[in-house]
Amino acid sequence: MSDHMTKATTLGVLDRKLLRNRNKIIRRQPTLAWYLFLLPTLIGIAVFMIYPLAESLRLSFTKGADEHYVGLENYASVLESGTFWYSVYNTLYITVFQLLIAIPVGFIIACLINNLRRGANFFKVLFYLPNVTSIVAAATVFLAVLHPDGPLNYVLQLLGFEKIVWLSQPLSAKWGAIILSVWHWLGFVIIINLANLQAISSDYYEAASIDGASRFRQWQYITLPNMLGSLTVLFIIGWIGGLQRFSDAYMLGGLQGSPARSLHTVVGFIFERGFGGNEYGLASAASYILFFFILVFTYINTKVTKMKI
Amino acid sequence: MLSATGKNKLLSGLLFLLLLGLGALMLYPFLWMVSVSLERSSNIAVPFPPRLIPEQFSLFNYKLVFENGVLFKTYANSANIALFSVILSVSSALLAGYAFSRGEFRGKKLLYFAVLATMMIPFEARLIPMFTMFNDLGMINTKYPLIFPAIINALGIVLVKQYFDRLPEGLRESAKIDGANEFTIFVRIFAPLTGPITATLAILAFQDSWNSFLWPLVVINDQDMKTVPLFLSSFSSENGNRLVGVTMATAAMSILPIVLVFLFLQKYIIRSIALSGLKGE
Repeated sequence: MSDHMTKATTLGVLDRKLLRNRNKIIRRQPTLAWYLFLLPTLIGIAVFMIYPLAESLRLSFTKGADEHYVGLENYASVLESGTFWYSVYNTLYITVFQLLIAIPVGFIIACLINNLRRGANFFKVLFYLPNVTSIVAAATVFLAVLHPDGPLNYVLQLLGFEKIVWLSQPLSAKWGAIILSVWHWLGFVIIINLANLQAISSDYYEAASIDGASRFRQWQYITLPNMLGSLTVLFIIGWIGGLQRFSDAYMLGGLQGSPARSLHTVVGFIFERGFGGNEYGLASAASYILFFFILVFTYINTKVTKMKI
Repeated sequence: MLSATGKNKLLSGLLFLLLLGLGALMLYPFLWMVSVSLERSSNIAVPFPPRLIPEQFSLFNYKLVFENGVLFKTYANSANIALFSVILSVSSALLAGYAFSRGEFRGKKLLYFAVLATMMIPFEARLIPMFTMFNDLGMINTKYPLIFPAIINALGIVLVKQYFDRLPEGLRESAKIDGANEFTIFVRIFAPLTGPITATLAILAFQDSWNSFLWPLVVINDQDMKTVPLFLSSFSSENGNRLVGVTMATAAMSILPIVLVFLFLQKYIIRSIALSGLKGE
């Protein structure tokens, strides 16, 4: 075979004619086959996404077992309901403090782990462990940790503070929920931060070292600015997750978010009205209001991460 | 005076100890849970002062849990549901991920966008119609509502697509020339190469299924069909204050499978969390 008739490919050396035939075969892709590959997912999206979303929207304009049309009445009732706004306040209160504590603390711990010569993996596992357990199990343990005779009060008393009956007062109950959620979420913050810290090019640090910058200065001028984006993303992810909080508050406060509804969350409101009171229309309206807020933050998140879709 | 390297060594030693202390603090609730569960008197009062080594060691609480047997019924339910959820979500993600990575067909971009869009839709917005739909089908108190929705796995599809995108196209070409169709190529060539990504997806799906709470709370109310978190939740609200020891033993048993999976496969889990977080999901 002469040189001009052949071409090197990943498959070795091929004849030109053979190559043309090969390309023709490859180009002729049966479209139907690809749709078959997508069939399970597309059926899933149609049945468990599109239909429920449309049905929920329809239900949000109806009332009663006969589902008669009431226009925007449900939305008005939700937005005029003090219980709903209190559930919004509780949800935001717990989430704001969860994020304000967990993100900086998790970031600092991640920086410390990142500075270790060895054992980083051990600490990743250690700190991430709470996050793999169900929030139900975690809350069950915290019901005992927050018990008047539990370890938390023991430490408080050692430090000279008064004993707190955590789950009996609205404010302390919320702080109980905050402590639980920080503990449960911290590992996630650490893992994400570590992944991003490792993505910062070591060139920056080497250059700074040569210029004689101290470890702290390097952290201040290289690590921190490079991590601002990741921290913002974490904040938004946490915020979206926090808006949907249910299990932790439900476990500590029951269906009505006791004491005095201080642990009643937005999803708790939807759950109580929908399944406790069979008010599907009202609960659907509340779900759409929540959906709208989550959508706004998801949109901001895609802008921040510059996720290409 | 310490030398520079000596000082560095001392600093990293201190750092290690500091992290160890913080880690112990994170682990403390678990350790205390185990300690309380191993203390017989814990069913009369919360052991005070809190201690990590039980004063009177006893397996009494675990014996109660084992003899009661309800926990094992719920274990079987949860395991059954998790098994089918994992199979469904992993296989649908592998199939769809392959199509989005290698396929050329009309509407590909639009469909991929639709898949990504599902990540932005909170479950709560679909909660009530999902319930009424399964209710109309007579599937309340069955495992089906807890399994079928796992078929949508957007994050899995994205991860599989990216994984396949990195494999050389030559793999397909040779099989095509041999006359293999797309399905044969997928089954014979691509699927066998997906070990690590399949493991990652399976663990994520298992975790989701095993820990899920809100949806099972909505669709299961029959005692015999309860999953592990549902059982733990009702047990804890009914007996939590009276039987702290048994409750802690139940909680410990409920997290045992997931903790074991995590400890054995932590490499995959931590990587998948980092990946999913970086995706901004």
